[in-house]
Amino acid sequence: MRPRTPLLTVVGALALALTACSGATPATPDGTTSSDTGDGHGAVSGAAEVAEPQLGLTTIDPSGAVTHLDLLDESVSDLGSIGEPTAMTTDGRYVFAQTAAGIEIVDSGVWTWDHVDHFHYYRAEPRLLGTVVGDGQATVATTNLSTSGGTGVFFAESGEAVLLDTRALSKGDISEYFRIETDAHAGMVVPIGSYALVTHAEGGVASSVVGYTSDGEPTEVEAPCVDAAGTITTRVGAVIGCRDGALLATINEGELVIERIPYPAASPAPAATSFANREGRPTVAGLAGTDGIWLLDTRARSWTFLPAPAPLVSATAVDDDDDHVLALAADGRVLVLNGEDGSVIAETEPLVRDSIAAGHIPALIADQQRAYLSGPAEQHLFEIDFADAARIARTFDTATPPMFTAETGR
Amino acid sequence: MTMVRLRARVAVAAAASVVGLAACTPSPDDDRPLVAVTTNILGDVVSELVGDQAEVMTLMKPNADPHSFEISAQESGRLRSADLIVSNGLGLEEGLQQHLDTAAADDITTFVAGDVIDVLDYAEGDAAGMPDSHFWTDPARMLDVVDALEPVLADLAGVDAEAIAASAAAYRHELSDLDAEMTDAFGAIPSERRALVTNHHVFGYLADRFDFEVIGAVIPGGTTLAAPSASDLADLVTAVEQTGVRAIFAESSSPDRLVQALASEADVHVEVIELYTESLTEPDGGAPDYLTMMRVNTERITTGLSP
Repeated sequence: MRPRTPLLTVVGALALALTACSGATPATPDGTTSSDTGDGHGAVSGAAEVAEPQLGLTTIDPSGAVTHLDLLDESVSDLGSIGEPTAMTTDGRYVFAQTAAGIEIVDSGVWTWDHVDHFHYYRAEPRLLGTVVGDGQATVATTNLSTSGGTGVFFAESGEAVLLDTRALSKGDISEYFRIETDAHAGMVVPIGSYALVTHAEGGVASSVVGYTSDGEPTEVEAPCVDAAGTITTRVGAVIGCRDGALLATINEGELVIERIPYPAASPAPAATSFANREGRPTVAGLAGTDGIWLLDTRARSWTFLPAPAPLVSATAVDDDDDHVLALAADGRVLVLNGEDGSVIAETEPLVRDSIAAGHIPALIADQQRAYLSGPAEQHLFEIDFADAARIARTFDTATPPMFTAETGR
Repeated sequence: MTMVRLRARVAVAAAASVVGLAACTPSPDDDRPLVAVTTNILGDVVSELVGDQAEVMTLMKPNADPHSFEISAQESGRLRSADLIVSNGLGLEEGLQQHLDTAAADDITTFVAGDVIDVLDYAEGDAAGMPDSHFWTDPARMLDVVDALEPVLADLAGVDAEAIAASAAAYRHELSDLDAEMTDAFGAIPSERRALVTNHHVFGYLADRFDFEVIGAVIPGGTTLAAPSASDLADLVTAVEQTGVRAIFAESSSPDRLVQALASEADVHVEVIELYTESLTEPDGGAPDYLTMMRVNTERITTGLSP
């Protein structure tokens, strides 16, 4: 399965004569040039490797002030100010905030390198990286990698599809692999390996996705996807929600492959239009309207429907040994559900009733051991031990309303 | 299921011959062959083997992570002018793979340690079935690498093959001594106590060779230890109770807090010991070279597990 390099790649007679010289710098296969860390050091430039994940909650308040709460030492730092935010996406390191200017990017300075068999953890200086300019509401799609690959941004109003160079972001630069014009629609650019899937529209509605190279050239890879909505990347591949199922894009021996995972036949439940999980895990959750949860296992390529025990406003899959699924009920309770049958294992008191009543959707984020819930109206950030009867482990007060909250360092 | 495929574009390496030859000037300071080595562990071993017969450029700095370290443009240029590139392989040098591929496409001789050893696959977890790249925790496998590497080094133009043979023989002797010491030390641990409860992921080869059981355990991190409950520690407590060990081998930024939490929440009393895993340290650190790194780990494991 894995290509093995032969023991020795020995070369013809010219090799030794040539080896003492270095020729012109060739471009590397994905179009990047050699990295230059500047200081000549071999480590990740400007970053310190640390023993455990540098978990934090990076929040943005209504005025655009960005704050980072370090969950290890509980210190709070001010990362600077951006425009007034109206939406936010994160990959666990960067925060992509929608403002009037476009997509403003904040580097929290903390991240995890996933090596599949284990992880490495990094900390560097946080910084505001700048703005990806574009018109109207944008959809941002990330991978689980914060130092390589691409990050997609799609501007609905102009139909501009942008693929950002994530490695450049890690060095503090906003650099676009491509920016291509499509028809205006609520579309998306979903990075996968050195490719990206871009939605194409018919009559102003997304109807298919097309694979593009990082140079912005369309490939022959294409799949229908009516009403494309919601995307997430697991360690299996990139997911895009469609009216009749999900597309799963993977890279198989260098080839871009799209599979379709249809919803179970005759399912009356509405399609999921957004997905959430513990970062990277194969199983993701999406609401089926307000009365159910769809679980998509990207490894098994299967859907499971869980009936909701109460009207819900969001859900996420922990995908741990106990198959925990977390949901936020419309009355502000966090429910810990059994992912096999949807039964309620534990629940909190209503923690964010006022926020939901005021029209906010609090962030509900799961990591391996804890879940985090934001209360913009309550001005609290809750840490919940979902495996221990939904115990509130810690509660943090915020100085201003945390309108948008990302868990970073992972 | 719809499946659409696209053949990946293949990078075409430009032919370098004419320009390369014309511009060719050897380094003014050093006309010895250049051996580029990816990891600092292999860098140390290669240095022991070549002595002063070749220049060794180790790309990975001390105390670094072998998967994600980056190299400068200058190092990348020198890599392409190397006479030999020695790498670990088996997917270890993820961040460097592009540079290694480029160099291989430039027809530079390469030696991949993972190709000359008996490879173990991960048995469980998300990486199950993937090859374990951390062969160096077994000194016998390092000996296999030395055996395969010696003729390659001896073939480098301008080196004295006899000198290489002499230093390789001396280093083989060192590795054999290390192997014997580890065998003795671990042999003295009662077999029922030969268990590594750990969040280190690199000891598969050591365990295989010296008959340890590795029990991968979730080591609660800082967010958990801030407000822990018994359930947070259940996995670890089970592993400790099953094995009866008095020490766990964990990377933790707050080992004291972990020890306290285990004691207060679960009445479990263990030591938390950190081992060297994937990188050598600076010369004045605890693991400046491969042999020392192995001896220090052996001593720590033996002390931690002995009754």
